[in-house]
Amino acid sequence: MRKRDFVKLAGLGIANRILPAPLYGFWQRAMEKQSPGRRVILVTFGGGVRYSETFAPEGLANIRRLAALREEGYFFRACRNEGVLSHFNSTASIVTGDWQRVDDFGFEPPASPTLFELYRKAMKAGPLDAWVIATNKSFASMGASSHRDYGPTSGANVVLPKQLLLDAVKDVARKPPDAGLARREEVLRGLENILHEGYEGVGWTIFKGGRELNRHVRETLTGALAEFINGPDAPTSGDELTFFIAREVMREFAPRLMLVNFWDMDVAHWGSYSLYLQAITRTDRLTGMLWDEIQSNKHYKDNTTLLVLPELGRDGDTDTSNGFLNHRSGDPSCRHTWLLALGAGVKGETERPIRHIDVAPTVAALLGMRAPAMSGTAAPELLR
Amino acid sequence: MSQSTPPRADFGHVPVTFSSYLAEQLRAWDTLFPAERAYLERLSAYLEKAPAAMFDPLQEIERKMGVAGKWPRGRFTLEQVDFLNRNPHYPEWRAEIARLFSRIDPVLDADLAAKGRPRLVVIISPAELPVGPDRMWTRLAKQGRRVALNAPDNLDHYLPLLLTGNADPAKGRCLPSFAANRPSYATWVIETGELIGALCPTPGAVRLSYELLRGFRQRLMQEVQRITEDKTIKGPRQLSERLKTLKLHPSEAGLAGDALLGEFVRATLLAGNGTLLINNTFVEWASVQALRRARPDVLIVGFGIRNKMKPFSSMLIFHDQDRATAIPTQADMLGSYVDLEVLYQYIWQEAARRVEYRNNTAYLFTAIGMDEMHLIAPPDFPLAQPASGGRSSLAAVHEAAGKWLAG
Repeated sequence: MRKRDFVKLAGLGIANRILPAPLYGFWQRAMEKQSPGRRVILVTFGGGVRYSETFAPEGLANIRRLAALREEGYFFRACRNEGVLSHFNSTASIVTGDWQRVDDFGFEPPASPTLFELYRKAMKAGPLDAWVIATNKSFASMGASSHRDYGPTSGANVVLPKQLLLDAVKDVARKPPDAGLARREEVLRGLENILHEGYEGVGWTIFKGGRELNRHVRETLTGALAEFINGPDAPTSGDELTFFIAREVMREFAPRLMLVNFWDMDVAHWGSYSLYLQAITRTDRLTGMLWDEIQSNKHYKDNTTLLVLPELGRDGDTDTSNGFLNHRSGDPSCRHTWLLALGAGVKGETERPIRHIDVAPTVAALLGMRAPAMSGTAAPELLR
Repeated sequence: MSQSTPPRADFGHVPVTFSSYLAEQLRAWDTLFPAERAYLERLSAYLEKAPAAMFDPLQEIERKMGVAGKWPRGRFTLEQVDFLNRNPHYPEWRAEIARLFSRIDPVLDADLAAKGRPRLVVIISPAELPVGPDRMWTRLAKQGRRVALNAPDNLDHYLPLLLTGNADPAKGRCLPSFAANRPSYATWVIETGELIGALCPTPGAVRLSYELLRGFRQRLMQEVQRITEDKTIKGPRQLSERLKTLKLHPSEAGLAGDALLGEFVRATLLAGNGTLLINNTFVEWASVQALRRARPDVLIVGFGIRNKMKPFSSMLIFHDQDRATAIPTQADMLGSYVDLEVLYQYIWQEAARRVEYRNNTAYLFTAIGMDEMHLIAPPDFPLAQPASGGRSSLAAVHEAAGKWLAG
């Protein structure tokens, strides 16, 4: 199985779960005829990244693609996160336009309607028109709110690519030890099965389903998966898997609204500055590749706005213990981020401060929606 | 000298979020180092006499936050942490707490500053770093100065010369022994491996080694894995509470006889900051915590080379990385160098912001085999002024540090 087959399988597996086969065919034909309305893709540098490692002069070496793309787009130098400095609440604030104060670890959905629900309801959009692809596996409830007028039936499809992989292994590990599981083909068949089944059931560890197996089979399975993951074609990080799934969703379903949450840079919590820098560089590269896909995909070229921003910063080096490892101090380094808009039809940059909650009303305006009142305000710079 | 029983925390004129913080600290009295106890005693004494008006702004913020009726006096639980974090007035509250401490701490510190004594921090980097001295300690360049060294040809002699003054450690005198008459928990050796502790087996010194803690680390990882598979755990905060019950066994590090150190090690390894997984993160975080909590007079830190992370290792966070995948474990020299440049700074900053270390601490940043070191020290430290005669020997560095400690 090639990498492309793998991710294609992931996307199609999800579609089949969402729609019965006849409806899916209908939807595909409808997509071909749809009007060339504007599309928006939101990319978050999840996990948080400091200005100093990105758009500050000393950080530009870590984000060569975005630094170059800045000339083509509109850059907000001061985008502030004034909300709760946890991952879930930060991203939930971005997609709702209201500061969210729900459970930090994603055990509650956002309290205000998400862009995805608003968009689908306002535009009578289909179930495959709004997606969340997230490396952070606590984002399972990012696609829809607990608001009484909305909810999962009008929300986004949420794909947690790393979880796909975990569940794949779990499924393979459940099979009896005499089923030839040591063979790579069997592992991949297991992957296919689980991808068709869906991706829900967030777990914590990889062997949750395999504990009854004898040790030899379990180790053989792990080795087979490692071989697959580490093969010349396979992704090597959660964010790479997220990118490939996101690209496949774009190619197969061409949604008008999509959130892509990269998250590898949260490795900063481990205390390794070099791994943190590598993750930033990788996210920069993958974001650039996403922009390349927009430019080469007929559904997206010339009608797509790509908004890129960190969900939060990280602690500064001087005011707190262990600066970059954490992101809860509330110091300026935690709250000061940036936003780059590509494909909005405008170029330039501004010092005018904007906030994370200004993103959702901006997206709503770009998509031509009449959105309900949000705490944030649309950025006029992107709506000329 | 600190008391054996905790001081008061129930002051009616102190706002509940503040007094609860103090009460929660005092609740852990048995696991506090003498320096921590002494601080809390001074804080309690200060609060007893502090004017109520000092807390008016905090009272007002608590009113806006809706604290009244939702906060059990004397408790600061996970629910209260959640309440604060999610409250729209949290940034205001946090700023006011910082303002209060910026007013209180100088008063509490004044006495300590007057009783300062010479202290020493030695930070040793491994020989395998792939750079020369010109690329070392770059974030500290504005502090202190470089000292040219006569590094021995035989790398094996470097550490004995630095730490004992003699290539044969049996004939030298370990640096920590110059502070032998200091109070308990005054000397700490924290390292990735076992070299420094073996060279300087000083009685009374606290010795923490990432390598020697391997058994405890592996048991912790297995326990975490087991607990996280248990569906009764809702999330990270609940997991953290459960993990507090995992204690060090006597056989696991030689520290278990000291409950205080056993708890220190457990808390350090489960801090959620990679201390279980990355040797240098453990060493840095343990050093920072030792400085923050125990305020040692002598701290010797030995970094190492960390392993390369394996692909998708974040999925296997609580698995033994050496066994989780078939990929061979490899050392990451360049990555370790990049990591350490930041970690040196964090350790130095942690000490520098404590009154005990201001104006009386010599920091020696060295790397095994390197013919330069970086020195941050008060002007009266013997090597603080540029020498006219060129390079210093490691024995001379040892002698200077020993004299400094001996006062």
